[in-house]
Amino acid sequence: MSIPGSVQVIGPVEESDELIIRPLGAGQEVGRSCIMLEFKGKKIMLDIGIHPGHTGMEALPFVDLIEADEVDLLLVSHFHLDHSGALPWFLLKTAFKGRCFMTHATKAIYRWLLSDYIKVSNISSDHILYTDQDLEASMEKIEVLNFHEEKEVKGIKFWAYHAGHVLGAAMFMIEIAGVKVLYTGDFSRQEDRHLMAAEIPSVKPDVMIVESTYGTHIHEKREERESRFTGIIHDIVNRGGRCLIPVFALGRAQELLLILDEYWSLHPELHDIPIYYASSLAKKCMAVYQTYINAMNEKIRRQIAINNPFVFKHISNLKSIDHFEDVGPCVVMASPGMMQSGLSRELFELWCTDAKNGVIIAGYCVEGTLAKTILSEPEEVTLMNGNKALLKMSVDYISFSAHTDYEQTSEFIRILRPPNIVLVHGEANEMNRLKAALQREFEGEKMTIYNPKNTVAIVLRFRGEKMAKVMGSLASSVTGERGKSKKLSGILVKRNFNYHILAPSDLPKYTDLTISTVTQRQSLSFAGSFDILKNSLLHLAKDIKIEESKKNPTVRVFNTVDVSYDAENKFVTLEWIASPLNDVYADAVLASILQVDACSRTTRPADIVAPPGEGSANPDTSFDHFKECVMDTLQDIFGRDCVSKVKTQQTTVDIVVNNHKATLDFDKLEVKCETDEGLEQIVTSVVTRLHKTLIPIVHQTT
Amino acid sequence: MTSIIKFQPLSGVWGEGPPCYILQIDEFRFLLDCGWDDLTGIPYLEELKKHVTKIDAVLISYPDLLHLGALPHFVGNLGLCCPIYATVPVHKMGQMFLYDYFMSRHNEEEFKHWDLDDVDLAFDSITQLKYNQSLNLSGKGFGLTITPLSAGHMIGGTVWKIMKIGEEDIYYAVDFNHKKERHLNGCDLDKINKPSLFITDAYNASYIQARRRTRDEQLLAGILHTLRNGGNVLIAVDTAARVLELGHMLDQLWRSKESGLHPYSLALINNLAYNVIEFAKSQIEWMSDKLMRSFEGARNNPFQFKHVNICHNMAELQKVPGPKVVLASSPDLEFGFARELFMNWCQDKKNCVILTTRPSCGTLGRLLIDNPSPGIVELEVRKRVELRGRELESHYRIQREEEYRIKKETMMDDSDDSDVDEDADIKMIGIFQGASRVNHDLFIKAGMESKIESGSLFKAARSKYPMFPHVEEKIKFDDYGEFIKQEDYFLIDNVYEKEVVEKSYGRRQSDAEVEAQLPTKCVSHFVKFDIQCSVVFIDFEGRSDGESIQKILEHMKPRRLIVTRGAEEAVKSLIAVSSQVSPETTIYSPQLREVLDVTTETYIYQVKLKDSLVSSLNLQRGKDAELSWVEGYLQMESDTLHGDDTRNSNTKSITPIDAMDEGETFVACLEPMPLLEITPHDTVFVNELKLSDFKQVLAKNGIGSEFSGGVLWCAQGTIALRRQDAGRLTVEGALSDDYYRIRHLLYDQYAIL
Repeated sequence: MSIPGSVQVIGPVEESDELIIRPLGAGQEVGRSCIMLEFKGKKIMLDIGIHPGHTGMEALPFVDLIEADEVDLLLVSHFHLDHSGALPWFLLKTAFKGRCFMTHATKAIYRWLLSDYIKVSNISSDHILYTDQDLEASMEKIEVLNFHEEKEVKGIKFWAYHAGHVLGAAMFMIEIAGVKVLYTGDFSRQEDRHLMAAEIPSVKPDVMIVESTYGTHIHEKREERESRFTGIIHDIVNRGGRCLIPVFALGRAQELLLILDEYWSLHPELHDIPIYYASSLAKKCMAVYQTYINAMNEKIRRQIAINNPFVFKHISNLKSIDHFEDVGPCVVMASPGMMQSGLSRELFELWCTDAKNGVIIAGYCVEGTLAKTILSEPEEVTLMNGNKALLKMSVDYISFSAHTDYEQTSEFIRILRPPNIVLVHGEANEMNRLKAALQREFEGEKMTIYNPKNTVAIVLRFRGEKMAKVMGSLASSVTGERGKSKKLSGILVKRNFNYHILAPSDLPKYTDLTISTVTQRQSLSFAGSFDILKNSLLHLAKDIKIEESKKNPTVRVFNTVDVSYDAENKFVTLEWIASPLNDVYADAVLASILQVDACSRTTRPADIVAPPGEGSANPDTSFDHFKECVMDTLQDIFGRDCVSKVKTQQTTVDIVVNNHKATLDFDKLEVKCETDEGLEQIVTSVVTRLHKTLIPIVHQTT
Repeated sequence: MTSIIKFQPLSGVWGEGPPCYILQIDEFRFLLDCGWDDLTGIPYLEELKKHVTKIDAVLISYPDLLHLGALPHFVGNLGLCCPIYATVPVHKMGQMFLYDYFMSRHNEEEFKHWDLDDVDLAFDSITQLKYNQSLNLSGKGFGLTITPLSAGHMIGGTVWKIMKIGEEDIYYAVDFNHKKERHLNGCDLDKINKPSLFITDAYNASYIQARRRTRDEQLLAGILHTLRNGGNVLIAVDTAARVLELGHMLDQLWRSKESGLHPYSLALINNLAYNVIEFAKSQIEWMSDKLMRSFEGARNNPFQFKHVNICHNMAELQKVPGPKVVLASSPDLEFGFARELFMNWCQDKKNCVILTTRPSCGTLGRLLIDNPSPGIVELEVRKRVELRGRELESHYRIQREEEYRIKKETMMDDSDDSDVDEDADIKMIGIFQGASRVNHDLFIKAGMESKIESGSLFKAARSKYPMFPHVEEKIKFDDYGEFIKQEDYFLIDNVYEKEVVEKSYGRRQSDAEVEAQLPTKCVSHFVKFDIQCSVVFIDFEGRSDGESIQKILEHMKPRRLIVTRGAEEAVKSLIAVSSQVSPETTIYSPQLREVLDVTTETYIYQVKLKDSLVSSLNLQRGKDAELSWVEGYLQMESDTLHGDDTRNSNTKSITPIDAMDEGETFVACLEPMPLLEITPHDTVFVNELKLSDFKQVLAKNGIGSEFSGGVLWCAQGTIALRRQDAGRLTVEGALSDDYYRIRHLLYDQYAIL
């Protein structure tokens, strides 16, 4: 099913049944989440993160494989760098002109988180993806949506569910032409101290793009995990050590602070040991946590009316390492979470050689970061200045990252039962294990699981049945009956994958579309007299109506084109209501008038022989003319002698060629030849063609 | 397949009664709002009782009394148990409105209609929704979808959209505001086009509003003038909705140095002011784009007031130095601190009372708007006083019947010898009394705010906890026993000093006694007030005015319109106006309790388009849609799995829920017609061309054109385009190449079917 490289779509893009899912990042890896969704000519990008293990352009997802200006919609699930880190770059440095959405809380925190990232990353300016100004400017381009609020962009309907994980984290349900795709982003089904568990969507998706960070792991229980965490910290400070907890500045850190603050309140003996939280960023974002309580769980929402749980009693802020007095045991929470650089790295390098000290890795860490390296407990670590140092401090790993585990994921899938599952955001091995486990668990069910690599597209086919609503007078006059088929004709209106069929007269009633009439009026100079005009028109058409009473006599030809003649100024005006058919009639009339005009300019009016008789007599004269023409033509073809002479009253003609005799009956326009079919056919075609050319057109009213 | 739609107003038609309507779609009955009239309570109570068991869902549009005030009565006393739908802020702020109303009322009289438990009960059954969140109803309402849309006016204010699957849309939009305000966005009504049924009020139909700027200036000028003369300004506002707009605006004014307001103070007083502001702070996502942006960018919470002193009782307010501007509830001066302050201040020429909304007829507020200098007015002074001394003893000693009699007697006594100034003081006692009696909200005293406002994540220097106000009584005694307090044996003369002691005493009693036996009583008497202060009405009610409503209707062109609430002239004028701007609209204005049948004979059914038909379509663009003429045969097919399509694909059928027969279902199917059988049809030109737009198209193609007398002359004046009435266009010109070129361009502007 998976085809590598670029995707070829045959046929009109919009009518294609192919849904293409293509990870540009986070395909069999963690970091730089970016997934492209293409269906019915719409392109949606889900998240645009950076890889925490790389810097500069290397950290970007493979966005060079797509055309940024073709992306209609960009949805950002939450504020973590691996989901939103490249957003300012994408919004400002590419040709992207679609719309970008995130939740209120995400947007408010995103601004400060990325600004912090710019400061912390501290890389040379030619590697920098964007500046603080770019970030500021990107705020203008980001739109917000509330949880559960439905939005529609170019026919793409989407809304967000609570995802747990961090404040403002969202799962997006995207619906295009009736096909629903759920993108979970990072989610957690476990309620914690301040966030609610991820919601179960009320509608079932056809495709689910789900994170697989923890693969088949099963988290330890929240209570156990918390007591282990507080226990280790207690041990470290008891032995006189310093405890370092590297964390993401925002998100899980708030949860850890809530735990620590509570633990310290319950243990008065610890009150002398300071807890520092070294993040000016968190301080900045406190207002955000105090404001968007509607995105948190019920407990917090109730508590906030009484006092604010985010006002901590035992935790002090630490502005920078310069303000830090390193005198004895303490607990320090510092960012960044994977100790790539910044304060957590500095403190680590300061403390790593003392066995009394300890570090607790509390979140997920990506390959290639220091945090991941020390988890394998190496004897030495490389410092930022390139020197090596012995690693003696204790290293513990307690996962507090609110990602789903196997139990939660499989429960989530069991409830929603999506027929297609796409795994993203997980390392290749974990992903494979998860895929295998899910396949085992849901064996025998119609469920396909994919785990595409970066840039590899998955093509799913959705044969969407197109349903149209028949409305208004059309619906009342034509209704379906079993076993009968009825004619239905009307205007089909297609808007955002919705079809309606209406009678033309109902169009303004049910839509904002209006019906117009265009009248055309062409004028040209005409040298001849009205009689000449009239006669020439009589040659052209059978049904003409003449009105001479007016100042300017008018002839109505084909019942559509009004030809009026202005004798004073010598010009003719054609007037008709525009439509493709009427335009053709008008052109015919015009051509005929032009021809007569050209003649009348070269010859004197008197030279033009008016056909004898008028009106009713006219068809007969033209019929005689037709007869003559037939005779001439037949004589030209077969030779003068072969065609018998005809008298005026005679209605049949005999044609004798090579002893075969064909008889032509003018009244019926029939040719009969007993002996030679070929002859019969030739004569027939000659006669019918001539008849079509010479006999005036009779307008058929529709 | 057409649904039966019925509309029955229980209140709020041909008059200014509170809105309450029943909308019935087939068997499902919605109750649209259920308002409370402060003077009469629920005038439609009897009628409502008949319907209460039949109601399946309640939709609430605004958090004020006018729109949800009857809810506690409904749920608490009539036993309404269906789901109630409202947006998150309507839920929160609605609760504030009702708490404040109850407490204000309770402070001055026995309020018997409902109590705070009923409020809690009612709000527990509310399902909270977000804007644009579509909710599919289940059970009896299967197939119905309700969606709240933003309406402006008040935070969380809602225009309800009600849809039945496969059918048309109904909108219930009252009191909306299309204009952007400081703290709110305008309503989304301009996105609605030709709804099947539009229900709106005519309250403002014949009302013309001054421009916002003018009103703002008027307010500032009024405030400054009064303050500089040493007077106080009372601004009567509601509890938790419009007060946000005014509070935010005034706080901003105080912040700017040029305003000259710095030396004066600003206060907000109502029973729940702290909670209202806290909730407002956490509802930024429901407010205007501007506020949201400023919060995201600079983390300035607009309701982190710098200059507004938040007060919950008169004592706190008195600490705020004057001259001051006070925002107080209620807006109609019928109850609450606003009435109390009015009585205190109205006899002083220096003071100023600003009314911000037009309350209903018969209220003091309305009286003042209609006649800003009424001279001497007789007003009812209501208050709750505690029993004390002999009275208190007798209260426990004498039987219940006797109690009532004595109460009445003392009531007469009280009203005889108390004067107005004292009344004001006495009331302060009742405030805490009311709060504690019902044991609902923990009061956070003024000190708490500073702590939370600091917004600090970290250790606060001092910590305070919310607690019930309590003063310990020290008992002094000597060898001869406890000191006799002479004051205890006085009558009510010296109340203010002893307030604290009395209060704690009262509380201890309340713990032991049943509520009805609380030693408090309500008294009321009429006092004549000589109204000397200036009274100004400045419209801050945040509703669209008549002209805007007309424009909205003109743009929307609803197919059917129900006109509700509004004075008779207003209803008539709205009917006249809408039949003028939107002649195709059918307009209804039902009488009270009339069951209006608004079922229409609209035929709608769904057909499946065969792939061969879809691929034969020649779609053309017209506005934001694509159009095509379609010719086909309509056939009924049994809706079984399509055997011809068994390859490995995700067959996805979005079949309509349209069970025509039980068992086998049949689906209408549209097949293409063979070419030969197609009969010609009249060509349709879709789109309406603006000549000015076409001028640009011409310019792009290198053809010069010029307007002259409404006619577009092109190609050196040889060809003229004329637009007659709507949808008619004439091209006129001499025969030339240009003629055909222009005609070609013109045709491109239309979808020609």
